[in-house]
Amino acid sequence: MSNSLLTIAYDEWRYWRRSSLAQTVLIIALVLASASVWVTYADVSHTAQQRTHMQDEAETTFESQPDRHPHRMVHYGHYLFRAPPPLGTLDPGIDAFTGNAIFLEGHRQNGATFADQKQSSGLTWLSKLTPAFVMQVLTPLLIIVLGFGVVTREREAGTLDFLKVQGVSPLLLIAGKGVALAGAGLLVLMPLVIGAVMALLDGAGVLPVAGFIVSYLLYLAIWCGLVLLISTLANSNSASFSGLISVWIVLCLIVPRIATNTASVLVASPGKLETDFAVLKRLRSMGDGHNASDPAFTALKNNLLAQYNVDSVEELPINFRGIVAQKSEADLTNVLNEFAEQQMQQQTDQADIARAFGWLSPVLAIQNASMKLAGTDLENYHRFLREAEDTRFDFVQSLNKLHAEGMTMQQDANKYTSLEAKKAATVSADNWQILNNFHFTPLSPQQRFSNSVAAMGQLLFAGAWVLGGLIVAGRRV
Amino acid sequence: MSDVVISAADLCVTVQSKQILKNVSFSARKGEVLALLGGNGAGKSTTVKTFLGLMTPSSGSALLAGVDVSKSPDIVRQKVAYLPESVMLYSHLSAIENIRYFLSLAGKPQTDDAISAALQRVALQESAWHSLLGGYSKGMRQKTAIALALLREAPILFLDEPTSGLDPVAIDEFNRLVSQLAGQGATVLMVTHDVYGACHVANRIGLLRDGEIVGMFDAPAQGNIDSEAVHSAFTQGVKA
Repeated sequence: MSNSLLTIAYDEWRYWRRSSLAQTVLIIALVLASASVWVTYADVSHTAQQRTHMQDEAETTFESQPDRHPHRMVHYGHYLFRAPPPLGTLDPGIDAFTGNAIFLEGHRQNGATFADQKQSSGLTWLSKLTPAFVMQVLTPLLIIVLGFGVVTREREAGTLDFLKVQGVSPLLLIAGKGVALAGAGLLVLMPLVIGAVMALLDGAGVLPVAGFIVSYLLYLAIWCGLVLLISTLANSNSASFSGLISVWIVLCLIVPRIATNTASVLVASPGKLETDFAVLKRLRSMGDGHNASDPAFTALKNNLLAQYNVDSVEELPINFRGIVAQKSEADLTNVLNEFAEQQMQQQTDQADIARAFGWLSPVLAIQNASMKLAGTDLENYHRFLREAEDTRFDFVQSLNKLHAEGMTMQQDANKYTSLEAKKAATVSADNWQILNNFHFTPLSPQQRFSNSVAAMGQLLFAGAWVLGGLIVAGRRV
Repeated sequence: MSDVVISAADLCVTVQSKQILKNVSFSARKGEVLALLGGNGAGKSTTVKTFLGLMTPSSGSALLAGVDVSKSPDIVRQKVAYLPESVMLYSHLSAIENIRYFLSLAGKPQTDDAISAALQRVALQESAWHSLLGGYSKGMRQKTAIALALLREAPILFLDEPTSGLDPVAIDEFNRLVSQLAGQGATVLMVTHDVYGACHVANRIGLLRDGEIVGMFDAPAQGNIDSEAVHSAFTQGVKA
């Protein structure tokens, strides 16, 4: 790096040191960045501990239930909690809106499976001051306030011509100012970098952490470049400031809103109520799993009678009601999964459309890169839902198996006739040890990194445009 | 080899379809002080800016040491020191910081002793050297810029209304400095509307009116240019 470049950068920093506005902006930026990292880290860590504790408690509570009829335990249900990934302390992503706990029970898929994609971006995330939000939305604003006059100030004061006469080329001047702005951006980025290193120590993986830091570096470099570009093109400080604020509004507020609205229009997603009705309609056509006499299970009954060579279900060595519950749950789960997959596909299609707008706005690009690297994006959430559903199905079918094999049909049918009969229709509490320690793991570090490459490409694309614009503008000064 | 350092040949400059300079021709040899005299809007500052490569001629040429300024502005700027009419220094820096900064960018850093000597030479009070320029008077800023121009040690000096804002004592001192630099071989192009100052310091005076050279006065072998004659031509608009 040439001496002149550093001299110009150093002088810009000297100007900021002597400007109360610049000092205030830098202090606000640093405090905001540090506070958001600290508060979110503490908050997410606390929530993670709480979730681990609640997961243990839920398992203990389930396993300490007394001898019961297995189907009662199916409806007693069980909770699954998802611990946030290490980089989720810096970018909670859509987790903040989707929730991380799911209640598992028979015949139902609970949770925010049908969450509206619109909630994942746009103005709704203004309410949460996370490090990602501070870096993605507020820091560019502070860089604008800090740097809108880097070139126009020289132009207005006449020093631009004087510098040229000293042999300073406009490109060198712009580069020097860029180094100064990048230094300010780096300073503000430091709390996030420290947070990322802490996440690395917590097991976030080298690739995602490196990608996370590089993505934000690139993002802030793009904003520094934009500030330089507009300041170079503008004739006055006021024109530069108003131009940059307009760019910020378009890139940070308008394009993300257009992206989500376009996604919603192009990929229509039915609401929760509409979906629930459609699911219910399908389920009603399948037969009631609580009623072994339902005609829907006649074929199953006939097959079993033939298999065991008996004339009635009462003669079967297994509880036909339990078999019906198993069959019904399997069929029902297929339907629920079909709807859930359909909804997830729609959400993914919507997200893909919204992500394509990252070619227009680096804010959308960094949001995507950041969430993917952190493991708090839509794909990771869907992965959690699928894992949770697999766990739910295994859990319910384990209880249904107990229902089928732990008592006769006679005992099951007579359970309400007397206390003794009720007791006979229960299984031992020892059988409740069916829960596997659920531990959700997000996509592997390599997968998260490779998933974020497209978004990083969008950032590089924006960076190349800004750099090209700067070179052209610099030559025209 | 010719010793002409500054040369304008049929120089024309047009800004937004208005012709500011019309076929201006003049030259200055090494060690010569050439003053261009003219009223407001005569084209004095445009002439200087054209030689500095800040404005592009529409026709004709502006040469410095034989190099066409419009074609190689970066090369000629290495040989030039410029003192603008309105001093363009940084208000957030002190005199010493300003000088250090600009010299560093020009690739001609000087020692603190040299900078102090230059500031003493232009008679800027020492107590102000480390104060921010934001608190300087116009004259003090002018002196700082003069010190910077001296420290550039450039063989060619462009001075745009150099004594504007200076007190009479400082003006005398400045004129003495310019003569001294010319005596050491520097070539000076000074634009001004100060008739008596120009006559005192210049070897030649060109009278610029409405973008045209309307008269040229040479100093006699001994003594200064006749200020009365120049003043008369300047004020009466009579071609010499």
